[in-house]
Amino acid sequence: MPSHDVLIIGAGLAGQRAALAAADAGASVAIISKVHPVRSHSVAAAGGINAALNPEDSWESHAFDTVKGSDYLGDQDAIEVMCREAPDEILWLEHAGVTFHRNGSGHLGTRAFGGASQARTYYVADITGQAILHVLYEQLMKHHEQVDRYEEWFTTTLLQDADGGCSGCVARDIRTGRLEIFNAKSVILASGGAGQAFRPTTNALICTGDGIAQAYRVGAPLMDMEMIQYHPTTLAENGFLITEGARGEGAHLYNAQGERFMERYAPNKLELASRDVVSRAEQTEINEGRGFPDGTIALDITKVPRKRTLEALREIVNIGKDFAGVDITREPIHIKPGMHYIMGGVKTDVDGQTPIPGLYAAGEVACVSVHGGNRLGANSLLDTLIFGRRSGEHAAARARGVAMPKAPAAVLRDAQGEIDAILARDGAGRRVSEIKTELGETMNQYVAVFRDAEGLSHALEVVRRLKEEAPKAAIDDKGSVFNQDVLAAIELGYMLDVAETIVLAAQERKESRGAQFRTDFPERDDAEWLHHITVSRGDDGAPRLATAPVTITKWQPQERTY
Amino acid sequence: MAEYTLKLRRYDPQSGEAPYYEEFQVDLEPHRSVLEAILKVRGEQDGSVGIRCSCRAAICGSCGVRINGRAGLACHTHLDHAATSGVNADGRTILVEPMGNMPVIKDLIVDMDAVHWKKIQRVTPWLINKQPVPEREYVVPHENMVDVTQTMACIQCGACVSDCLSMEVDPLFVGPAASAKAYRFVGDPRDAEQYERLKDLAEDPHGIYDCTHCFNCIEACPKGVAPMSQIMRLRRVSSADHEIEDRNNGYRHEHAFVKNIRRNGLLHEADLVPDSYGGKLHPRAVPELISSLPTVVRGLQRGKMTPAKALLHQHKAPKEVKRIFDVIEGRDQRLELNLYISGTEDDESEAQA
Amino acid sequence: MKVAYWPGCVSRGFTPELHGSMAAVAPLLDIELVELDRASCCGAGVIAEHNQELADTLNARTFALAQQVEGAELMMNICSTCQGAQSECQERLDANGEYRAHVNETLAAEGLSYEKGLTNKNFLWLLVEEIGLDALRAKVRRPLTNLKVGPFYGCYIVRPTDRLGIDDEHPRDQYLHQVIEALGGTVIDYAGTYKCCGFPIITMNKEASLKQAGRHLGDAMDAEADCLVVPCPLCHLNLDLQQPVAAKVVDRELAMPVLHLPQLVGLALGLDPKQLGMSKHVVKPTSVIDWTTAVVAAPAAA
Repeated sequence: MPSHDVLIIGAGLAGQRAALAAADAGASVAIISKVHPVRSHSVAAAGGINAALNPEDSWESHAFDTVKGSDYLGDQDAIEVMCREAPDEILWLEHAGVTFHRNGSGHLGTRAFGGASQARTYYVADITGQAILHVLYEQLMKHHEQVDRYEEWFTTTLLQDADGGCSGCVARDIRTGRLEIFNAKSVILASGGAGQAFRPTTNALICTGDGIAQAYRVGAPLMDMEMIQYHPTTLAENGFLITEGARGEGAHLYNAQGERFMERYAPNKLELASRDVVSRAEQTEINEGRGFPDGTIALDITKVPRKRTLEALREIVNIGKDFAGVDITREPIHIKPGMHYIMGGVKTDVDGQTPIPGLYAAGEVACVSVHGGNRLGANSLLDTLIFGRRSGEHAAARARGVAMPKAPAAVLRDAQGEIDAILARDGAGRRVSEIKTELGETMNQYVAVFRDAEGLSHALEVVRRLKEEAPKAAIDDKGSVFNQDVLAAIELGYMLDVAETIVLAAQERKESRGAQFRTDFPERDDAEWLHHITVSRGDDGAPRLATAPVTITKWQPQERTY
Repeated sequence: MAEYTLKLRRYDPQSGEAPYYEEFQVDLEPHRSVLEAILKVRGEQDGSVGIRCSCRAAICGSCGVRINGRAGLACHTHLDHAATSGVNADGRTILVEPMGNMPVIKDLIVDMDAVHWKKIQRVTPWLINKQPVPEREYVVPHENMVDVTQTMACIQCGACVSDCLSMEVDPLFVGPAASAKAYRFVGDPRDAEQYERLKDLAEDPHGIYDCTHCFNCIEACPKGVAPMSQIMRLRRVSSADHEIEDRNNGYRHEHAFVKNIRRNGLLHEADLVPDSYGGKLHPRAVPELISSLPTVVRGLQRGKMTPAKALLHQHKAPKEVKRIFDVIEGRDQRLELNLYISGTEDDESEAQA
Repeated sequence: MKVAYWPGCVSRGFTPELHGSMAAVAPLLDIELVELDRASCCGAGVIAEHNQELADTLNARTFALAQQVEGAELMMNICSTCQGAQSECQERLDANGEYRAHVNETLAAEGLSYEKGLTNKNFLWLLVEEIGLDALRAKVRRPLTNLKVGPFYGCYIVRPTDRLGIDDEHPRDQYLHQVIEALGGTVIDYAGTYKCCGFPIITMNKEASLKQAGRHLGDAMDAEADCLVVPCPLCHLNLDLQQPVAAKVVDRELAMPVLHLPQLVGLALGLDPKQLGMSKHVVKPTSVIDWTTAVVAAPAAA
């Protein structure tokens, strides 16, 4: 039975960074991932990572941009921590080997990004997430004696001790089907977002909200669940992401009439306004009939010099060619807003701690909150690394004062029972993929850029109906070697739990702020609504809504224009 | 919409049965990917079909498979192209098998740890910092970083390893992915052990000189990493910049060939083999020459080679050829054009640029 | 048609039967060969490995010499390796005007200059794209009926596909199949068709090199081919000259004749094995010779 000081679930940027930090602090560390670590969705992050490293820049400026970007819902103490620590993190990454872009003098170079008052986004072509993730994995390979890696292990349950603290997890070795108890003094959830609850989404198939649901199920509160980011530039058919870096390099948005419409919505920042502003602008153009017949807007990257595109936007040249049949250096590519990121998640403090002793969360799975109602581009990579590191350090320190838990073997029997129940289903129900499709289409229709009470109510009905249906969903594979069917059934349960909390929070906030826009409550109302909405599972199993205050340090809420 | 027949290689390790092929009919638009078709089959017809997949956008590297015998990413291959490529194409059938050179776990899922990752780990795949580590960032010329981005772009999908022909006959060959990873460090000015890395891979009998130069990895790679080109760069840096004369005859063969053309304008095969071992009378060459004797004799018997021709091959313009060698080898710095970095000129626009 | 003809090194060295058979076949196809006898070795990829600019310049010189041949429609080579090595150099030369100008500076002393866009085709491509399969079929005097031929392309002429202009309109990686059929032969499907003969590592890892050759020859035998046909003399060396040694490496008896492409074409056009230099092969192409004599002794009258 593996027993470690720090157990990390999820091996994207936050998880791997936490592992390295905890190992550095002398703790015994295990990291579990349901896919090989380099397949984690962090790998798809493209544009870059923000930091006020430039001497002419200041962390206060970065922090203010973030606060404003969050539509004043972000907790300013956490934002200060993140922005203050960002420059050192960039240098740590660079020393570890990340191949950050260099300017003409050989120093770190920046590009412009959305919502930023000055260029402070450090990058590697348009594969920044991949470059950092692979370098972190290189470091994990280097530290293989200090960090035990459990690659392709699926976590099914979080364990709790008699006092309600988190004491580890049960995970299944995907290759053999064998279940194992992982004891740990502290557990860090780093399992990412829940994009697959929407269809389409930019998110990978593995983004099924596992950690959010698992935390929710052991009683940890979720926060800001209504804040779902729709990224302005995604391919219409399959939801694939076209990085904000394109706009950072100078690309323009045009409607079907050839108008550069952002001049009307954000006269100063234009295409580089914050994402919610741009997405709403695009959706309005489309809804009001100025979009193209397929419901899209044109992103014109031909404005960027061709040589620069080939050097700095190579990945989207490939995406354009392979997935849209377009040469972006010669013609515009058609895009529309698409579900991309969840600002909400498991509520934590600035060290990643949840109210459950021993349970931490970092990265997209968590809500500190640094992003509030809307996340700025290139702040997510930063978020994962800063809070991944902090959680790792804090969890390692905590381990010194805590005894190693030992879960009883009965726990395994229970977990196996759940798997067996899935395998024993009679097959009469609808297939997992059908239920998932209905969930995704419903969420994308009623819980998207523009929402209203009627739509949200309908969405909640559908989600609840699907929740009833899910335990009977049919699967085909009864084997134990690499049974992806069973995992899909478990993931469906996670997605439905998460979807329910999203809809409830959206219904509760009768206001428009950040990414949440209610056509029935179109104004921001600081007097009534300047607070977070939390959702927790009550003892009776039903969701309970509450509020949490927004921490304000330096920046009083103002009107937000770009 | 169009109808496609997906012919998938199935293998259930728990059944005790041998692998078999199963056909599925699927209806999808021709520009959709093979992965979408497989997921449609999994979602609607048979949930036990095993394939690794995640991002669907050719960045995570999970869905490496062999389509019609050639390795690539399933999410990156369009149905219409897959159904019409290859000698046996019928416009509708698409053969999908697991990647090669690696043990199969189930269906289209292979054990990458056993082969791919083992070889990656073999090349010490982490930066060994050049000392002293600066307080801020290392100063690195812009072009250097762009150059290394080519190998950094590798998503570890395994397609190159799958189709590597050297690895097929020599499973111990370090392989294209690991070699590209090695170049990621050799080409990074912040790494302190360029010489050590090269010496290690040059001296290894299954190292960089074991590559049979077949281009399969370049063809298979979905990201333009061009592993074989990286192997050639490793050889170039090893032999030209560090003069590493390996035990595998790699260095000697390269120099023997170059010397041969410089002197003769055309290849004189008879000189090439012994010179690759060190010279006609070199102790290393003698056993090779002796073992080659039967082959030489056969050649002479057939009238393929005549002693006169073998030794007195004459070229019409030896001085002109030699002059080119002198000019270029006399330069202070090697000039190398990497199209990954410079791109291909556009006829209309770059003429003015 | 007139072509600027680059015969390569090995066809005039260790595989003279290739040079001879090409010379014999050309007039039958109305091809006038103007030999580029001042051109140098293409480098076979080895010179490029050593110094890219050197390989690019040597080949730019060859291209410039070809462009000087009055009335030549294109440059033709008879070696997969030359095709691949030269295409790689040409790709760089054509991609960048500044680089090309720099290379031309070196050539200037000889009064030579390479102009972007040369057409360089292997004899195999020329047969299909310039002469055409229909025209080829019409010239056949001794159809290769019942001759089972295994195609072996050679790596350098089939990969990478984009550099070699292989696409739906030019399925160059199927031309050898098409030519065999146009000549009346039967194409044998076997595992080695697009694999590597191993020649590039013959001095670095002889065992791995000949294991490859041995396996492909063995697979062809298992598929009951009468012979292989290859458009590359380097492949021919590893598959024919080294066949007895390869047999030892793979520990099985091998007896697979290997023909050069012009030899196969020549047979079908009515020439005899002796005229085509087939007696120079190490592996006696007995099956082919028997087949030739078994068919009508003299080819059908024109």
